[in-house]
Amino acid sequence: MSVRSQGTTLFSAILILVGTTVVVQLWLLTVSTEALLSGQTRILIPAAAGSSLLLLINASLLRYVYRFDRDVEKE
Amino acid sequence: MTLGSLLLAGANWITVIAGKLWHRGSTAERDIGAASALEQAGTLLFRYPTDADPCIAVRTPEGKLVAYSQVCTHLSCAVVYDRTENALACPCHRGVFNIDQGSPVTGPPTRPLPRIKIEQRGNRLFATELEV
Repeated sequence: MSVRSQGTTLFSAILILVGTTVVVQLWLLTVSTEALLSGQTRILIPAAAGSSLLLLINASLLRYVYRFDRDVEKE
Repeated sequence: MTLGSLLLAGANWITVIAGKLWHRGSTAERDIGAASALEQAGTLLFRYPTDADPCIAVRTPEGKLVAYSQVCTHLSCAVVYDRTENALACPCHRGVFNIDQGSPVTGPPTRPLPRIKIEQRGNRLFATELEV
């Protein structure tokens, strides 16, 4: 399998992962908003921390994609 | 999608800030009135933690003193004490809340009423904490 076709498979997997994390973040925002409106502020910080962690995962995956692409172009 | 993720994380932190601002001062103590007034009428209306938050204190037939937010968790109508049912009732959509826990019993509300801790010092009643 060539590096380029490996990359296509890899990018598809990363795209699915990123999509999943964004959906989870959307869910966290929905839960946080509902909790805020019902006055249950205790879960807001853990939800925001979880969302930030997912953002970090997303950013790391994006960085990985850029680095992979750069390495392929060098070769 | 990563930009969307950044926006979602930002929105989540905005809810944290909104929560801090919204419930600021919810632990501040407030004199809500005379205990004798509550004993005479059976209920006492007051505002806590801010002047924009109507609440109701009730002396139950068992002698227990309880207080809740008067804002119905369904569509924000004012709940009133129903002496015959010994429950808090919302006249708008016939929601009924348990007097001991503030939990919804019948009708459209699904969330309990926020509870307010009350302390009696002499003839004065003080709201000390908002429990949600």
